[in-house]
Amino acid sequence: MKEPLLGAFEEHNKRKHMVGPLQQIHAPMRRFRDYEEVDYVIVGVGSAGGVLVQRLARAGFNVVGIEAGPFWDTEHDWVSDEVGSHDLYWTEPRVTGGSDPLALGANNCGKGVGGGSVHWAAFTPRLHPSDFEVYTRDGVGADWPIDYADIMPYYEQLELEMPVAGPAYYPWGHPHGYAYGPHPMGGVGNALIKGCTALDIPVSIGGPVAILSGSHGDRPHCIYRGFCIQGCKVGAKASTLVTHVPDAVKTGAEIRDRSMVSRIEVGKNGRVTGVHYFDIEGNAHFQKAKAVIVSGYAIETPRLLMHSACAGHEHGLANSSGTLGRYLMAQAGNVVMGRFDQPVRMYKAPPAHALTEQFYETNAKNDFARGFAIQTVGPLPVAFGKQMIAAKKAWGWGLRREMMDYNHWATFGLLGEILPWNDNRVTLSDDKDRFGLRVAHVSFNLHENDKNLIKAAKKKTEDVMWAAGAEQVVQEARYAHLVGGCRMGKDARTSVVDKFGRTHDVANLFVCDGSVFPTQGSANPGLTIQALAARTADYLIEQGAAIFNSNKRDMATPRLRRELAPPATWGKGVPRLK
Amino acid sequence: MSKEASGLEAAGTHDLEVVRNHIREGRFQRSLSLLTAVTSIVSGLEVAYEHYRGSYSRRVMYTPVILSVLLAVAGFAGFFSKRAARTVLRWVAFVTLVDAGVGFYFHVRGIYRKPGGWRLPMTNMIMGPPVFAPLLFGTSAYLGLIASYLQREESLHADPDANEDSWLTRLLPSAAGRELISEEQDIREGKFQQQVAIVAGVSALLSGFEAYYSHYKNNFRYKAQWSPVAIAPILAGVSFASTKNRRWAATALPVISAVAAADAAVGFYYHARGVLRRPGGRKHLLYNIMYGPPIFAPLLFGAAGMLGGLASLLRRRNR
Amino acid sequence: MKRFEEVDRALCPVDPDTGEVLEPRAQPGYYAGFSTLAQRAFWDEATRKVVDKRVKDAPQRRYLSEQAWEFWSTVFAHLIPQTDRTPERQINLVAGLDHRLEVNETIGYRYEDMPHDRVVYAWGIDAINAEAKHRYGGEFMVLPYRQQDVVLKALHDGRPEAASDIWKKMSVHRFWQMIMGDAIEAYYAHPWAWDEIGFGGPAYPRAYTRLERGEPEPWEVEEQRYAWAAPSASVSDEVRSVSGHHTEAGQHSLLDKGGVR
Ligand SMILES: Cc1cc2nc3c(=O)[nH]c(=O)nc-3n(C[C@H](O)[C@H](O)[C@H](O)COP(=O)(O)OP(=O)(O)OC[C@H]3O[C@@H](n4cnc5c(N)ncnc54)[C@H](O)[C@@H]3O)c2cc1C
Ligand code: SF4
Repeated sequence: MKEPLLGAFEEHNKRKHMVGPLQQIHAPMRRFRDYEEVDYVIVGVGSAGGVLVQRLARAGFNVVGIEAGPFWDTEHDWVSDEVGSHDLYWTEPRVTGGSDPLALGANNCGKGVGGGSVHWAAFTPRLHPSDFEVYTRDGVGADWPIDYADIMPYYEQLELEMPVAGPAYYPWGHPHGYAYGPHPMGGVGNALIKGCTALDIPVSIGGPVAILSGSHGDRPHCIYRGFCIQGCKVGAKASTLVTHVPDAVKTGAEIRDRSMVSRIEVGKNGRVTGVHYFDIEGNAHFQKAKAVIVSGYAIETPRLLMHSACAGHEHGLANSSGTLGRYLMAQAGNVVMGRFDQPVRMYKAPPAHALTEQFYETNAKNDFARGFAIQTVGPLPVAFGKQMIAAKKAWGWGLRREMMDYNHWATFGLLGEILPWNDNRVTLSDDKDRFGLRVAHVSFNLHENDKNLIKAAKKKTEDVMWAAGAEQVVQEARYAHLVGGCRMGKDARTSVVDKFGRTHDVANLFVCDGSVFPTQGSANPGLTIQALAARTADYLIEQGAAIFNSNKRDMATPRLRRELAPPATWGKGVPRLK
Repeated sequence: MSKEASGLEAAGTHDLEVVRNHIREGRFQRSLSLLTAVTSIVSGLEVAYEHYRGSYSRRVMYTPVILSVLLAVAGFAGFFSKRAARTVLRWVAFVTLVDAGVGFYFHVRGIYRKPGGWRLPMTNMIMGPPVFAPLLFGTSAYLGLIASYLQREESLHADPDANEDSWLTRLLPSAAGRELISEEQDIREGKFQQQVAIVAGVSALLSGFEAYYSHYKNNFRYKAQWSPVAIAPILAGVSFASTKNRRWAATALPVISAVAAADAAVGFYYHARGVLRRPGGRKHLLYNIMYGPPIFAPLLFGAAGMLGGLASLLRRRNR
Repeated sequence: MKRFEEVDRALCPVDPDTGEVLEPRAQPGYYAGFSTLAQRAFWDEATRKVVDKRVKDAPQRRYLSEQAWEFWSTVFAHLIPQTDRTPERQINLVAGLDHRLEVNETIGYRYEDMPHDRVVYAWGIDAINAEAKHRYGGEFMVLPYRQQDVVLKALHDGRPEAASDIWKKMSVHRFWQMIMGDAIEAYYAHPWAWDEIGFGGPAYPRAYTRLERGEPEPWEVEEQRYAWAAPSASVSDEVRSVSGHHTEAGQHSLLDKGGVR
């Protein structure tokens, strides 16, 4: 076929706001005025923010989600192209440093409705029960103020809402199964299976990933085009843009996009009264609100709280503990590349499609605490070229030569737990952004445990690659998934927020996103972030008006409100083996 | 040759003769019910994992799985009881047949709703729901339906309680009603060669097409992958010719049907081997069955051959 | 950009057996006959527009001075040499950089041991020229190809011998990473480069169907390898694997960039 039937594809539905080939955003969207005092302002409609907006709107609150980036029309704004997708990432200036500086930008955060869930690879493993008590078990890191049993119902719920595809039985952590069936393999997944099988390492095939293996209402299933990190135009990969935001808009939430929150206002009574923000033209506004939830990601959340320093909060809003911006974490994400004699063509199939968590837990035989996972990755040419600079020091003709072999390479990513350290932190740099706001400075240093862990993880991942039959194995150091910086804890002296995300210092100010993680495990954080958001939402709904007019803290666990899930959640998938 | 052996052989040919006569006279309700049950189990397994691949993303995807269990049970019941064959089996088979139609609709629609829809027919047939699979799934239901109208092997006389669907005929215009009754009558007497031949031809075409695009997906890596694609149209052609011509039905049809069945067996072997040869092989058997070559698909192709064989043994309608 | 006509044939890759110069091709690489652009009709409109623009728009100089444009064109022609391509099929590597500097677009961060991107490209010229003068007594642009290659290789190796005042304020590793990154973003984002390496290109609405064993789609082609050696005037062909079977974690602090996962 030279052309599709009826000729080249043209954009359809130009006047409708589409978030997939079939799915559209309800119009008109409700609008609030700045001077109307809404119930909740949510800063950042990303992974966590998207879930919060949906839950609170469905429960009947007046909610505005203020988002720095655009409210994507995926048919119009997104492309199947690496370089053409730069706009998906947070490319506002930031400074990175420390002894082991992190790459930010495309490697870390999104900008626009859906946030990081727009460009994540959508691996969605759960944390293990041990993750919630790392300090108790291993004497390092920290304990969470909640345990696995608290979050498990939310894992199950969010796995249905996204939904997550994966094996019917997943053996690691608390064993469980998935509602959607596993995906077919691409060349990289097959290499991982081969390598692991040869070394007798169990491997999870075809998930867990928040990518549809069967259609889901108006969302078609995956077409294995491999552009997940560039945003899934198909709508097969879950992002809150397609899973939660459409329902939020339908049930009366406002998404105010291209609006950058610059400061949170604190009133005389010590409670927050709303947020200052700049619109796309740079005009300043103030939105009144009865309560504010910050969901701006592990870097922007601490930055915003620091920008909101005021009398009584000189070192940043809600920072009486001095831990704001500290205990920032990234996972070691070294990429191990193997060259195979036979072609692999790793650009096909989603980058995320198989993994093993066999080395996740602390093992007394190791010279380090905690562990790591090994996952598939599938860089497209530009990303792969950059990896070749690092992994093989290739340039000039050497680079051209390596790249001509692009189709012969398969890549695995390790995901290693780096512990929370006090000196890994976000501060404000002297550089300014376009609004004249000081940008974030991120400082990152590896410690002994981290280095030992990375070394072992790298070795193991390379072993698997050799066992898969690679004839050459190289690797590149990198990090993935920033979390922490606003950690939750029982003790107001050593943490910023309580177990529901409420700041210890201000009764109507909440933080809900990856920044609240006290430790991170070696599972990708996205599912946990969304599960925590749903839990925070249940808490807020349970508390009702008490949040708006009382400083009392009720620490009772709320009821899981299944009925507030987007209606499209139900009636799909297989009954799960628990 | 020893006496004993020749005696055995005689007994063998005698048995074959009996079977042939049973079929000719439509007295094979028991065996066809059993066959229905077996094919229903196979196609039930196939649809169960195929729909698991599609994650049962609609509740209606459970219906063929449930129905194939019911049909298998009904088939066994029909093997043991004439009553069951005429009631339960008939109705379950009928509902299953309707469900196959519904499935066909959803599969066509599913392809339409994939990116690019029917404008990318090949891609979306390969990656979307297999269009004709629901119709092939209907094969076992068809067998069940036929079985329900036959006579039992042991019955000697024409059936006393014929025309039990008379209420249906009363609903129809009288000409159509009469036609229906005479059709039923013919089936009962094994005179429905043309009908089975048509079904065999259609099913050969459909499963041949399924084989074509799923082997196309694999780039026809093995020459053998062309065989079902080549055999299917011949089987279909001969089957259709048989409806017009008695000689074809008696000569070419059994031969090509046997070839198709043999090819299906070979295919089954290769598919099973392919499953084991996948990365992770036996260790990830269930996954590899799901995503390896579909092991039951060749059997569905074989079913077309089997129908052809059946047709060749039947008698024709006398009009 | 240096065009092939201006370039010595000694700069073209050779057949390693006979040592003969390989004629430049419209499409180097092992996938002769493969064309992603021929598949345009199967792409969605938004993607088609973006890729078309990349292929059709004439490169425009807006930010860099004429000398700077020439300078970086020459440097990038070493970072990603294209003398195996016929002149009309060479890919412009600095237009994207010029645009990025003009609108002050970054990758979303800068290292604390690096100045702002515009400054990097200003200092880069000085540092490279200083290295050239130190080694060969002339500005980079007047040196013969091989000497230019050697100057750049010094930066690649992280061992510049001149301009220590600049390198004190700017990490040579990160500098190298940035210029390589910009060159790669220009070259490997181009459909002609996709054809060269056998990458399938955009794939929506049409999907991939053959996911396993590296099998080509019906519209892709099988690999047809041929041997080639880099021109003798170049020193960039050797690659060194940083990690063999065993490496230490120290490399973390030097090289990390870009994003997947
Ligand atoms: C390439 C890549 C691959 C990844 N793959 C995976 C994966 O496979 N699995 C996984 O679990 N995780 C993955 N992640 C990580 C995951 O995307 C993030 O952890 C997650 O999205 C973080 O959620 P969040 O709610 O904390 O923040 P985000 O989702 O980033 O949302 C924050 C939002 O807030 C907005 N915002 C910030 N500040 C302001 C402000 N001041 N005013 C207004 N709006 C503001 C931002 O624009 C953004 O939209 C990946 C990340 C990257 C970069
Ligand atoms: S591979 Fe699947 S999930 Fe990823 S972008 Fe393509 S269709 Fe979406």
